[in-house]
Amino acid sequence: MAVNRRQFLTGGLAVAAAGMGLAACGKGSSGGGGASGSANLQFAWWGNPVRNKNTTDAIAAYTKAHPNVKISPQPGEFSTYWDKLATQTAGNKAPDVIQMDMAYIAEYGKRGALLDLAKHGADTSKFVQGSVDSGKIDGKLVGINAGINTPTILANPKIFEQAKVEMPDDKTWTWDSLRELGAELTAKAGSGIVGMGVFFGDAMLSAFLRQHGKELFTANGVGFEAADVVPWFDMVLGYQNAKAIPSAAALTEEAGKSVDQTMLAVGKAAMQMQWSNQVEALTKAAGTEIQVLRYPSMTGNATDRKAWYKASMLWSASSRTKYPDQAVALINWWVNSSECANINLAERGVPANTDILAEISPKLSPTQKAMATFIADIKPELAPTPVAPPPGGGKLNDTLTRYQTDVLNGRAKSADAAAKFVDEVKSNLKS
Amino acid sequence: MSVISELSHIHVEHPQSDEDRRAQRKAAGRDNKAGYLFLLPWLVGLFVITIGPLLASLYLSFTDYSLIEAPQWIGVHNYTRMLGDERLHQALKVTFIYVFVSVPLQLALALAIAVLLNQGMRGLSFYRSVFYLPSMLGASVAIAVLWRQMFGTDGLINQVLRLFGVDAHTGWISDPRYALSTLILLHIWQFGSPMVIFLAGLRQIPAMYYEAAAVDGAPRWRRFTKITLPLLSPIIFFNLVLQIIGAFQSFTQAFIVSNGTGAPSDSTLFYTLYLYQRGFGQFEMGYAAAMAWLLVVIIAAFTAINFYASKYWVFYDD
Amino acid sequence: MTDLTARTELEPPPGVATRDTTTVGPRDAGRFRGSSVVKHLLLIAGALTMIYPLVWLLVSSFRPTDVIFRTPGLWLNDIYVKNYTEGWNALANPFGHYLVNSALVVIGAIAGNLLSCSLAAYAFARLKFRLRTLWFSIMLLSIMLPFHVVVVPQYILFNKLGWVDTFIPLILPKFLATDAFFVFLMVQFIRGIPRELDEAARIDGCNHWQIFSRMMIPLMIPALATTAIFTFIWTWSDFFTPLIYLTSPESYTVPVALRSFLDATSGSNWGAMFAMSVVSLIPIFLAFLFGQRFLVRGIATTGGK
Repeated sequence: MAVNRRQFLTGGLAVAAAGMGLAACGKGSSGGGGASGSANLQFAWWGNPVRNKNTTDAIAAYTKAHPNVKISPQPGEFSTYWDKLATQTAGNKAPDVIQMDMAYIAEYGKRGALLDLAKHGADTSKFVQGSVDSGKIDGKLVGINAGINTPTILANPKIFEQAKVEMPDDKTWTWDSLRELGAELTAKAGSGIVGMGVFFGDAMLSAFLRQHGKELFTANGVGFEAADVVPWFDMVLGYQNAKAIPSAAALTEEAGKSVDQTMLAVGKAAMQMQWSNQVEALTKAAGTEIQVLRYPSMTGNATDRKAWYKASMLWSASSRTKYPDQAVALINWWVNSSECANINLAERGVPANTDILAEISPKLSPTQKAMATFIADIKPELAPTPVAPPPGGGKLNDTLTRYQTDVLNGRAKSADAAAKFVDEVKSNLKS
Repeated sequence: MSVISELSHIHVEHPQSDEDRRAQRKAAGRDNKAGYLFLLPWLVGLFVITIGPLLASLYLSFTDYSLIEAPQWIGVHNYTRMLGDERLHQALKVTFIYVFVSVPLQLALALAIAVLLNQGMRGLSFYRSVFYLPSMLGASVAIAVLWRQMFGTDGLINQVLRLFGVDAHTGWISDPRYALSTLILLHIWQFGSPMVIFLAGLRQIPAMYYEAAAVDGAPRWRRFTKITLPLLSPIIFFNLVLQIIGAFQSFTQAFIVSNGTGAPSDSTLFYTLYLYQRGFGQFEMGYAAAMAWLLVVIIAAFTAINFYASKYWVFYDD
Repeated sequence: MTDLTARTELEPPPGVATRDTTTVGPRDAGRFRGSSVVKHLLLIAGALTMIYPLVWLLVSSFRPTDVIFRTPGLWLNDIYVKNYTEGWNALANPFGHYLVNSALVVIGAIAGNLLSCSLAAYAFARLKFRLRTLWFSIMLLSIMLPFHVVVVPQYILFNKLGWVDTFIPLILPKFLATDAFFVFLMVQFIRGIPRELDEAARIDGCNHWQIFSRMMIPLMIPALATTAIFTFIWTWSDFFTPLIYLTSPESYTVPVALRSFLDATSGSNWGAMFAMSVVSLIPIFLAFLFGQRFLVRGIATTGGK
């Protein structure tokens, strides 16, 4: 029996050990922290080809200047970024530096997943008034404004030309006249081009609700009722009936595409709702100068638009990072240094740091200059900034898209869809 | 013997007398040490990887657990929430349709082809390989990617249809009416695995039964229903049970084809996909655990129904 | 009870003539020929339809993306190799890196299954110990347990141990015989090996370990081969487990890398996507080609009466 056991154990253990040796290979060895400044930072962002290149270049510049910091890039796509981040955070392997969005900052911030940046030397002293608070959750600065943007409609003037339709006056158009314009473009532009690509999302819903005196979210939770959304679903259906927007199936296929693959980018749509900073990527993809337009109002008067400035994205750090000081140092450099600003320019939005903005303004491409001017111009049209969605609110756009698809496919009536939509948004917040 | 008949016959060996019982127990303990030593890895796995997590998951289903913060006891709240959760009902509906449409169709096709192949064909092994290959590749991400392209608006399927003059411009996977059907089709495409099992079973049916029936002048169809089906019924049963259990757990294809969303309109929101969304996407591990237990109950219920119904149609010839 | 299936070859039991699938009786000759042509046609049509998507995938991987969306046919005019070079280098690491990751996981899984399942199978099939029936029933039941009910706590367990983002959660369970299906497969197999051999070895003075390692294992090679090949195919294609455990891109296995490729190009570079899909399927295809014998025998053995 003794022989049996010994042979058994050694034989079994040998194979097991070999297997476990293989098992321990998972990642390249991560550098140890400890020594002053040396670090291995996992850096995650979502982007498009233009942003990916800028970011990679900026990373290279930083590591050149700080040779004891290694940065591992994790580029991604917006639609799948959040699932991945959630999984990583749950597994205690969140990236050290995280590109964050207003939709999720409360979710992560309130759960203690984000580092208090102010405690580690974050520098927002030169930031323009009002652009710092959006990154504060429960009094802690968990995100630093990476750029300012605003919701816009981007338009391709070449397609307007092709259709022999005049560019609209974006200061006076309404939701209805936009629909007419979209329908006209679809009819006249030919070769399968539609007037408006993806347009109906949470940003436009927010604008619509604000113009009716409501909000998406308030400090107390959901800021609207089913009755407020019924006209929205009716409007979506109206746009489709007028053929101003593509079919439900085409819209479904658009979801999840990166910016440079969308209809506007590939010349299949004349207009599309985007954030102002995305105009650069779209101009590159479409091969022609894309114009920035205001979204419509109910009254035909742009000052009634209730527009707002948004932190296009924010820089956060994981609360479990092994290198808090180095992570914050990187973020500081990103938003405050001329070097980084000169590489990224305004692709992530207009820099919040006023000195930096002044410095790069002359260097902006015509497209970005127009965007920066636009942002300054719409000051009179602003209304109070919307509140950050509470935890569970980040899914609102996905939920909205689902109900819109149902309505567009004729599987639900506006009234039903509106009621169910509000119920679901509310129940998502409870968790 | 298959897993199923094993389970059905487990309790056959009861000793009769006291003496027999004592002898049995002595014999049963003969290799205790060696037995448990050999069994050790499996036992460790059973408790650490299976039973422990099973019990932990039961506990977690009564908590609100985001993984980043500690679990908070909320009693049956997760379960009551499931009652009102419309997306959960949709996920159940989608999964039920998937399971109860694709499994019978797949098995019927597998049986039909197996019967066809069993009737003295040349090139049997060629056909068997060709039909079996898809089920080997089918579970992979690569095939799901292919399927996604094939059933897109300008994918292979529509291109072929256009060749035949059909004006095919539907995006099958972006239309809530058809998206699930593409996944059902993918499952049926993988009929090769049950087919091989049926083939093996068919080969074991003694030829003398068929010869006797032929002598009696029984037509082909009768031979099938009166000889083939009954004798094959344990294997059909085995396949049915395992395929149903497997189909309830499908994940990869739905995930890849819908990009993780269950789109369009949640028409491809498989139960496991919704579980993944809730647990790993929305920090609701407690809810995901409750959903998982509901799945266990559902699968156990259907398996039990299967076993119970098997009394009426499965024929063991011993 | 007839022990029809616990055999290494699918031979008929003595005294019973099974269906001879190669000869045809004289009375059926005429009828057969006509209907057999029809049958062959149906089967060939069916086989072609089944295989077409796979062949089209292979051929399309050599076409540029826009051509893929225009060409349902199989004729290849020019071979466009750029899909392969682009796809290979599209992610942060060359695709070969992910192939290696998958290979490591698969090798670990195969080693684990072969070792732990054979040990457990020997115990169940040959050893008499208390509660054997109970454990055996539990093992059979565990084959039917849905994975998702244990995935959350397993994840938490591995999380607390700090093993997320390593291969350990993918390999360790295999060393603990969690793939009960293979235990069952091997038990069936061992039952077909005559006990006289065991007894002969016992008379020679061998203890259980020696019987197991020196006699049983060599005799079990077909079952071991079947296990290895099935483990290879299932582990190579496994998506869910790596999806939740492997969070940093450099640890990705092939399925997760493919999916992240799909994300990164968001459906624009189908040519490269197809190319890498083909690359990821080749190992399975090879395993299928060389291991078909064992696969067919293996599942037939467990599925039989």
